[in-house]
Amino acid sequence: MLLGLTPCGWLAVRASRVDALVALQTGGTVTTLVLVLLAEGFHRASYMGLALALPFLSFVGVLLIARFLGRHLL
Amino acid sequence: MKAHDLVIDVLVALGVGTELLCCIGLVVMRDIYDRLHYALAATTIPPFLLAAAVIVEEDWTQPGINALVVAVALFLLNPILAHATARAARSRRG
Repeated sequence: MLLGLTPCGWLAVRASRVDALVALQTGGTVTTLVLVLLAEGFHRASYMGLALALPFLSFVGVLLIARFLGRHLL
Repeated sequence: MKAHDLVIDVLVALGVGTELLCCIGLVVMRDIYDRLHYALAATTIPPFLLAAAVIVEEDWTQPGINALVVAVALFLLNPILAHATARAARSRRG
């Protein structure tokens, strides 16, 4: 599953800034699902809280970049 | 191997496989809108498959419900991000 971060990283480094934004969005999704799998794999229900918080934090981060920095940097 | 374990393995394999396919699609596609298509596909099918695997494993306990909430959050929040990203790409194009 972590292999999914490799295309995202490659796209974030090599492609344009707006493509890097898509890569950041997908990287957040992959990381969230990895955290769900790790919490379930290690049978630690409390670790699921991290996976629960990450989609919302990733949402705010990507939205801020897209809305405010996007006008000047893209 | 019991049928219960087989169902979990199939759901996890399908979830991980579709997520990896979507990540590869990001690199293969040339246009930003095609890439957004794959980015959104990564937030619709795989999270629910993995949540279903966790629910089958744990039943409707705290981990299962949390996994479902994560899947629903990804499903509802990412279209907004895709819209904002597409709008930024469109404004860049002029």
